[in-house]
Amino acid sequence: MPTNNSYQRYHIDTKPSPDFVLWPNRFVVNVNRFQLAKLLITEIIHQRGDMKAVTSRPCMYGTFSGPIGGFAPRPQHCVGCLRCTTQHPEAVRILRNPDRERLGDSYFTSNYVGAVAYEAETGSIPVKGAGYRGKFGGAGWDGMWTDMSEIVRPTRDGIHGREFISTVVDIGEKPSYLVFDEDGGLASAQPRTLSIPVPFIYDAPPKSAESETLYEILASAAEETQTLAVIPVASCRFQVTSVVPFIKLGEESQLENLGFTPKMIEIDDAQSPTPNIQSLISNLQSQFPDTIIALRLEYPEADTLLEFYENGVRVFHLIADFHGRGNDGTPVMDLIRQAHMTFVEAGVRDEVTLIGSGGIIAAEHVPKAIITGLDLVALDTPLLTALQTQFEGDCADREASQFNMPANIPLDWGVQRLKNLTATWRDQLLEILGAMGLREVRRLRGEMGRAMFQVDLEREAFAEIEGY
Amino acid sequence: MPEETTVHLPAIEKHIEHLHQGFDYWPTLENGTPPAMGDYRWPAEMILSTWYQAGTREPPDNELEYRTGDSGGGFDKLDFKFLPKEQQLPPETDIDLAIPLNRRGGHGPASGVDREIEISLPWYGGGMSFGSVSEQVMLARAMTAKEWGTFTSTGEGGFPDSLVKYKDHIITQIATGMFGVSEETIQHAPIIEFKYAQGAKPGLGGHLLGDKTTVTVAKMRESVPWVSLFSPFPFHSVYSVEDHRKHVDWVKTINPEALVSVKVSTPTDVDMVAVGSYYAGAHIVHLDGSYGGTGAAPEIAKKNIAMPIEFAIPKVHKYLLGENIRDEITVMASGGVRTVYDIAKAIALGADGVVLGTAELIAMGCTRCSNCERGRGCPFGLTTTDPELSLLIKPEWGAQRISNLNASYAKQLRDILRRLGLKNIRDLRGRTDLLIYKR
Ligand code: SF4
Repeated sequence: MPTNNSYQRYHIDTKPSPDFVLWPNRFVVNVNRFQLAKLLITEIIHQRGDMKAVTSRPCMYGTFSGPIGGFAPRPQHCVGCLRCTTQHPEAVRILRNPDRERLGDSYFTSNYVGAVAYEAETGSIPVKGAGYRGKFGGAGWDGMWTDMSEIVRPTRDGIHGREFISTVVDIGEKPSYLVFDEDGGLASAQPRTLSIPVPFIYDAPPKSAESETLYEILASAAEETQTLAVIPVASCRFQVTSVVPFIKLGEESQLENLGFTPKMIEIDDAQSPTPNIQSLISNLQSQFPDTIIALRLEYPEADTLLEFYENGVRVFHLIADFHGRGNDGTPVMDLIRQAHMTFVEAGVRDEVTLIGSGGIIAAEHVPKAIITGLDLVALDTPLLTALQTQFEGDCADREASQFNMPANIPLDWGVQRLKNLTATWRDQLLEILGAMGLREVRRLRGEMGRAMFQVDLEREAFAEIEGY
Repeated sequence: MPEETTVHLPAIEKHIEHLHQGFDYWPTLENGTPPAMGDYRWPAEMILSTWYQAGTREPPDNELEYRTGDSGGGFDKLDFKFLPKEQQLPPETDIDLAIPLNRRGGHGPASGVDREIEISLPWYGGGMSFGSVSEQVMLARAMTAKEWGTFTSTGEGGFPDSLVKYKDHIITQIATGMFGVSEETIQHAPIIEFKYAQGAKPGLGGHLLGDKTTVTVAKMRESVPWVSLFSPFPFHSVYSVEDHRKHVDWVKTINPEALVSVKVSTPTDVDMVAVGSYYAGAHIVHLDGSYGGTGAAPEIAKKNIAMPIEFAIPKVHKYLLGENIRDEITVMASGGVRTVYDIAKAIALGADGVVLGTAELIAMGCTRCSNCERGRGCPFGLTTTDPELSLLIKPEWGAQRISNLNASYAKQLRDILRRLGLKNIRDLRGRTDLLIYKR
C-alpha cells in the first residue's frame, strides 16, 4: 500500500538559552549583619548546640547557602517568597529591585519584559500559582477577555498531541471565486497565496537596533520556524526564502541583486495610492510574477484602504507605534477593528490579508489582535526584548526610539531565543484556541462574539448600581 | 525521582516558631509592610490584615486596609450604601448568616430523597487536591469546616484516610481525570461536585507536576509515582446537558441522598450553563471566575480567558430569575473573593454564597509569592507534598487560623448586614440597590 510520508507535524525545537548579558536580579536582599549575628548566638543557646538546627536556613532556593550564609546573600537566587523576612523581620528585608523594574518602558513594562525574557530563555510558557495579580482590566487589550467553552470542546487534546489545532494562516490573494473557460481551464489568474504555520512574522527592527547580526538572527530564526522576516532590501544578504525584502520608492532596483525569488515583498511608506506607488506595484508584479506584494502603511482611513483594494492590493501590513497607537493616539485595538470592518462592510474581507504591528507585546495580544480583525501579526519589540535589548527612555516612535542591543550576541543564541519565544507564543495561542473550542486560528479572525469587553460586561452587570 | 529529605525535627520546630512570630509581628506595622509583598489584587495590607484576623478573630484595629484591594475594578469599584446610623439595626440584633444548599426540596428530579443541608456561614472551602496541597492543609481545612458546620472540597485527588472522620463536611470532587474517585469516596460525601472547569485555567484542565506526585499521592490517585498527571479538558463523555444528567444519575445511584454541585467557569454564555446545570439536576451551581485559584496555572489563562466573577454573578442571577428557577438552585461564587466585603458584594450581586480558597491559605501564612510549583513546592508548607516542608503546617494550628478568620468574617458580615438594616444574609441576595459604584 502506498504510504504518504509528506505530512510532518509542525514543531519548534526549544531548548534553554540562558541570558547572554546579566540583567538585574528581581529582588534585593538586605541583611542586617548585626541582627543576624545576634540571631545566630541566640539560636546556638536556644538549640543547645544542635548545629543542624542552628544552621537550618529558611531559604529553599540557595540565597543564604553561600560559604558564609546570610552574611553574604546571593540575591540572584531569591524568588521573592518572603519566607526569610516573614520569620526574621529584624534580620532580613526583601525589596523589589528598582533596576529590574526599570527594564522596558512605560508600555513594555518590566512585567512584560520579564515574561518575554522567560519565554525566550526557557521555551516554556509562564505557569505560576496563586491566581491573577494584576489590575482588574484597563484600556486596550487589558479590557478584553476571550471566551471558553464549557463542554463542547473536541480540540483541547491537540495540545497534548492527540488531536490537531491548526495555527496555519494564509497570506496573499484569496479571491472569492475562480473563473474557468469553456474547456474547464482556469481563466482567472492563479491566486498568489502562501501559508505559514504560525500567525506571526518577524518585523524589521527599528533603526537604532539594526545590525547585520540581528538581521541574520531574524532570517535564520524565521527560516527554522517556517515564518517570514521582514528585512530592508539593502540588508537582504541571506539567500533564504523566509526573508521578505522591504523597499521604499526608488529602491526597487536593489531587488535585482537578491539572488533568490522572495515569497513576499513589502513596499514601505505607501500611505496613499499615488500613481508612483501603483506603477511600482505593477512593475514588481511583472518582475516577480509569483511573489506576493504587500503594502506597509500606518493605519489609514477606510477610503484609502478601499482605494488600494480597488487597485489590486490584497496584503496590507498596518503599522501602529510601539505603544500600540495610531498617529492621532487611537488605540491599536480600535484601529484594527476599523480596518477589519472596512473590508467586512465592503464584502471583501476574505479576499485580503491584514498583518499588524505595534503594541503587540505579550502572547495574549496575538489572539486578541486576531479576534479584533487581523489575520496575523508582525512582531517587533518582543523580538528585541527576547534578545535582551535595552530600551532608552520611552520607545513609542518607530523612527526616533533608541534601543541598545547587547554587543556581540552569538548567532545561535539569538536564533534559539527567537525560536523559544515563537514556540511559547504558539503554545499559548493553542491554550486560548483550545479553551474556545476552535480547531484553527483562521476561524478566530474577527470573532468578536467570542470575546468579552470590559465596557460591555460592566454595563450589563453594574448599570443599575448607583453611581455607575 | 526526588531524593528523600531527611527531616530534622528541631529545625522544623525552630522555623515554625519564627514563622508564627512573623505572622503576628508584621500586621502590627511596627516596621511597615514587607516591601516586596502584595500585588494589585492582594495588596500587602490585605495579606497582613488576613494574617491579623487569623491570629485574633477580629478585624484589624490599626490602619491596615482590610476591605478592598487596588485592582481598580470589580469588587474594588463597589461599596455599600449603609443606612444612616439611626436607621441601622441595634448591635445586639440576632443576625442569621446561614444558607441552605438544597433549594430544590427533598425530592430533586434526579433522586428519591435529597439531603437538606444548611451551612452556618455563607461560604465553604473550595477544592484543593491532595498533591496540590499537603495532607496537613487538607486536614486543617476539614477540621474548620466541621467546627463551623460548613464544607471543604477534596479537589481532584481523593480522600486521604485521615480525612474520613470529617467526611460529613467534605465535598467529593469529580473532575475529568477522575483521580481519587471511587464508589467509596462518592458514598462518603454529602455533596458531590462535578468540576467542569476552573476559573484560573478555564478550559485547560489540570496538571500536577511529577515532583508533587509522591508515592502517597500517586497511590491515592491510582497512578504512577513521580509522573506528571493531566486532567484533560473537557469531560469527554459530556457534550450536552443530557450527558451531564447521565453523570448526575450515575452518582445518585451510588449515593442517592447526595447533593450535586456543578463547578463551571465563566464563559460568555455562563447564564445558559447555569440553567443547563439546573435542568440536569444540580442543587448548586458553582461559578468560578477567572481571577482566583490557588493552583498553578498558565499566566495567559488567569488574565485573559473567561470573565471575572463580578460580571458572571449578576448575569446568572438575573437569567435564573427570568427563568423562574432562581429559588430552586444555590449559586456559589468564587475566583477572586478576598475579604468579607467581597463576600457581601458577591451576595448583593446575586450569589447565595461564596467559595473560598486563597483567603484560607493566606490565613495559614501564604504570601502570594506564586512559587507554588517551583522546586519542592511552597516554602510555607502549603502547596507542597515535600515531607519536610509540609511539617511547617500543623493541622490544629492551621484549623485554628482558618477558624479565627471565619470568626472575624462572621462578625464583620453581621455588622455589614446590621448597617444595611438586614437581619438575614438571605435578604442581601441580589440587592444591587444597596451598592454604590465608585467612579
Ligand atoms: S508558594 Fe507562595 S503563593 Fe504558593 S501557597 Fe506558598 S506562599 Fe502562597
